[in-house]
Amino acid sequence: MKNEDDGEMAEEQKKKPCRFWIWALSSVFFRLILISFPGNLNLSSRPEVSTPLTSIRRLAEGYWLKQASMSPYAGSMYHGSPLLLSLLGPLTVQRIKGQPSHLLCSLVFVVADVLTAMLLRGIGQKLQMAYGLNARLLGFLKSSRDKGILPCGDIAALVYLWNPFTIVSCVGLSTSPIENLAVVVALYGAVKRRVPLAAFGLVMATHLSLYPATLTIPIIFLLGYGLDAPPIKLFLQTKSVENQDRSTSDVSKTEAKLKQTTRVPFLWKTVLHFVFWVLLWSLCVLVLCGLSLIKHGGLEEMFKSTYGFILSIEDLSPNIGVFWYFFAEVFDFFRNFFLIVFHVNILFMLLPLAIRLKHRPCFLAFIYLTISSILKSYPSVGDSALYLSLWALFVNELVDMKFSFFLFCGYLGISLLSPVMHNLWIWRGTGNANFYFGNAIGYACFQIVFVVESVSAMLNHDRALKRCNSKNSREVKN
Amino acid sequence: IFFLKMKILLLVMLLCYSFAFSSGDTTIHTNNWAVLVCTSRFWFNYRHMANTLSLYRTVKRLGIPDERIILMLADDMACNARNEYPAQVFNNENHKLNLYGDNVEVDYRGYEVTVENFLRVLTGRHENAVPRSKRLLSDEGSHILLYMTGHGGDEFLKFQDAEELQSHDLADAVKQMKEKRRFKELMIMVDTCQAATLFNQLQSPGVLAIGSSLKGENSYSHHLDSDVSALYYFMNGMYITIGVSVVDRFTYYTLAFFERLDIYDNASLNRSYDPRQLMSTAYYRTDLYQPHLAEVPVTNFFGSVMETIHTDSAYEAFSSRISNSKINADMPLDQHPEHDLKENLQNANNPNDDLKNEKQKCPYTQMRADLQEKLEKLENVDTMVNLSIAVMVLVVIVSSSLL
Repeated sequence: MKNEDDGEMAEEQKKKPCRFWIWALSSVFFRLILISFPGNLNLSSRPEVSTPLTSIRRLAEGYWLKQASMSPYAGSMYHGSPLLLSLLGPLTVQRIKGQPSHLLCSLVFVVADVLTAMLLRGIGQKLQMAYGLNARLLGFLKSSRDKGILPCGDIAALVYLWNPFTIVSCVGLSTSPIENLAVVVALYGAVKRRVPLAAFGLVMATHLSLYPATLTIPIIFLLGYGLDAPPIKLFLQTKSVENQDRSTSDVSKTEAKLKQTTRVPFLWKTVLHFVFWVLLWSLCVLVLCGLSLIKHGGLEEMFKSTYGFILSIEDLSPNIGVFWYFFAEVFDFFRNFFLIVFHVNILFMLLPLAIRLKHRPCFLAFIYLTISSILKSYPSVGDSALYLSLWALFVNELVDMKFSFFLFCGYLGISLLSPVMHNLWIWRGTGNANFYFGNAIGYACFQIVFVVESVSAMLNHDRALKRCNSKNSREVKN
Repeated sequence: IFFLKMKILLLVMLLCYSFAFSSGDTTIHTNNWAVLVCTSRFWFNYRHMANTLSLYRTVKRLGIPDERIILMLADDMACNARNEYPAQVFNNENHKLNLYGDNVEVDYRGYEVTVENFLRVLTGRHENAVPRSKRLLSDEGSHILLYMTGHGGDEFLKFQDAEELQSHDLADAVKQMKEKRRFKELMIMVDTCQAATLFNQLQSPGVLAIGSSLKGENSYSHHLDSDVSALYYFMNGMYITIGVSVVDRFTYYTLAFFERLDIYDNASLNRSYDPRQLMSTAYYRTDLYQPHLAEVPVTNFFGSVMETIHTDSAYEAFSSRISNSKINADMPLDQHPEHDLKENLQNANNPNDDLKNEKQKCPYTQMRADLQEKLEKLENVDTMVNLSIAVMVLVVIVSSSLL
C-alpha cells in the first residue's frame, strides 16, 4: 500500500512541475502575442499603467536629451534612475524593420517578469518547506509527506505570470517589472540567506523607487531571525509538554530551560554582513550615477529629480491613486503639511506592524509593500501585481481569509470601470474628475480591506495554532 | 621684419582662402522662399493685385507653404467698395479662378507696403517686435523668388504712389543679402514698365533677373473686364461701366505656362516670351547666374520640390560627438591670426601661473581638481557606466553564489 502511495505521490510531484512549466511558458507566449499587436494596444498611454515614474516614453525622452548632451532630467519629463537610462535607453531607439516599435524593451520586460516568477517560486518553495517543518515540529502533521500543504511557490509564480495587472504593465511598457524584479531579488536573497544578493536587491529597489526602503526591516528580520514561523511560545509549549511527558521530576530544569529559551537568537553577524554589503552597493550605485551625470549637475540633480519628485508630488496628472485630486485643490500654504502627513502615514505603520509580526518577516514584507502601494505618490497596477502574487505565497496560512470573494469582485469591477470612467471624463466629456476619482477611492478602499483582512487572517491563524497547541497540551496532561 | 612679413602674408592668404570657401557652391538647396510684392494702390491698378495673387496661387500650388511666402499687397481690391464681386479677385474675364479664396495670407497690407519695409524684409534687419511671419527667414541654402509688379520707370519702381525704389537700392539690398548668406540663388521677376532697368546695378552672383520690358518700352495689360467694376460713369445720358484691366500681359503668359504644370513637371526656366504677344521685349539677365537656364527646373524657384530620404532609425540630432568635432574643426582657422596676440598675452599670463602654483600646494585639492578635470574630459562616460553596471551584476552573481 505504502509503495503504491509513494509511487503515486512521485508521479504527482513529477506532473506538478510539468504543469507549472506548461502554464509558465503559455503565459510567456500570451505576452509575446499581445506584444505583437500594433501600438501596444494603447496600454502605454493608460494612466493606470504608466505613471510619471514608470512611463517608457519619458524614458525615451530622457535618453534623447542625454544623447543631445543635455541633462536627462531637463524639462521635468524623466524622473527615474540614470542607470535605467543606460540600460533601457538604447533599446527604445533601436527599431527593427517591420516589427512593432519598442519590441526590444517589451522583450526585456518579459524576461524580467519570467525571472521574477522564478525567484518567487524559489521563495515559495523555501516557505513551504519551513511551513511543513514547523507544522511537524508542532505536532500537527503526522506523516513526513507534505500532503495538504499547497505548493505556494508554484501558485505565487503562476499568479504573478497570469495576473492581468502584470500582463498589462508588461505589455504597456511600464518599468514596474524591473522594480518588482529588484524587490523580489532582495526577498529571495534574504530567504536563501545570500546576503550580497539581498543587499543588491534592496539597494536597486530603493534606487529605482523610494518606497522599498521600508523593506530593510523585514529583510533584517529574515536574516536575523530566519523564515516565517508561528510565534516562539508555541514551540516552547510543545517542548514543555514533551518534557513533562518524559519526566515529572525535572520541573525545575524545564522551568530554567523555559526562561533561558524565551528568545530566538538574533544573528547579529549576518545582519552586520548585510549592512556592509548594503553600504558597498549603495556606494557603487551612487558613484555610477554621479559619473553618468557629471556634466549635468551631478547627484544633487538626480536626488532632486527622482526622490524629490516622488516626495513632493509635483505631477498631478490622474492616476489610480488618491493624491492627485487632493493636491490639485489644497492651498499652497498647507501643501507641505499635507505632504508630510501623507508620507508619515506610511512611516507610522512600520513600527507597530514590525512589533506584531516580527516572527513572520516575509508576511511583514508583503504588508509593507501593500501599504506603500496604496499610499505611494504615483501608484500603478504594476505595484498591485507584485503584492497580489506575494499574497499567494501565504495561501497556506491565509486560507480562511474573509471577504475574499467580495475583494475579488471589487478588484475586477474597479479594473473594468477605471478605463470607462477615464474615457467618460477625458474623451467624451460627459463625466468629470469625480467619476475617475471615485473609482480611485473605491480601489484604495478595497486595497485597505485586503490588507486588514490578510493581517487579521494571519493573526487568527496564529491564534488558532495556539489554541490547538494548548488543547493538545491539556489533552496530554489529562 | 621677415617673420612679420610672413605672418601678414599668411593672414592674407587665410582670409582669401576663407573668402573663397564661403563663396564656393558647397551649400545644398534646402528650402524655397517667395517674396511677392504689389506696389500700387487704387482701384484702377486692380491688375497689379491680380498679378501678385495669381503668382501667389501658382507658387502655393507648386509647393511653397504660406510660412515661406511673404505677400505684400498695397491695397485691398477684394473688399474694395467698387468691387462688384466682393471678396473675389479674378485674373481673367471668364471669372474661372477666384484668386482671393479661402487661404490667402497677406503679410504686409495697405500702408505697410513701403520701400523701407521691403528693404527690411530683404535684408532681415527688423525691429525686435516684428513677428516671424513678416520676416524672410531664409538661410544659405534658400532659393528665393522675388516678384514685383506695379508702375515703374527708368531705374525705379513706384511704391504706393508716394515713394520709389531705385535700382541701386535694390542692388544694395541684394548685395547685403549675399553677404549675410541669405540666399543660395535669387530670381527677380519684375512686371512693370521699363522693368529691365531695375537690374542695371545688380552685381551679386547667383541672381537671375527677368523683366517684362526693356528701357523705353511699356508693359501692357492683357484685357479689360467690364464686369468687375461697379463704377458707373454717366456719359451722354447713359450709365456705362468702366471695366478694369484684370491682368498684365507678361504675367498672363507666364501664368498660362504655369497653369499647365504641376509639381511633378520638369519644365525648365528656359522659356521664351513672344514679343508680339507681350507688346514688349522680355529681358533675361543671366550673367550673374551660373547654371544654364535649360537645366534649371521651374520648381527650383516657383515651387518647392524637396528630396525626402526615408530612414528607419530615430532622429538623432546634434550628438555630443558631432558638436565636439565641429569645435575641433573651427579651431585651426582661428588659431593663426591670433598667433601674434598669443605672443603678447604670454607675458601677461606669467603672474597668473604663480598664483596657480601656490594653490596647487595642497595635495588633496589638487587631486580632486585633477580628478574632476579628467572626468570632464572623458568622452565615453556612457560606455564606462554601462561596463560598470555589467561588472556590478557579475559581482552580485559571483558573490551570491560564493558567500
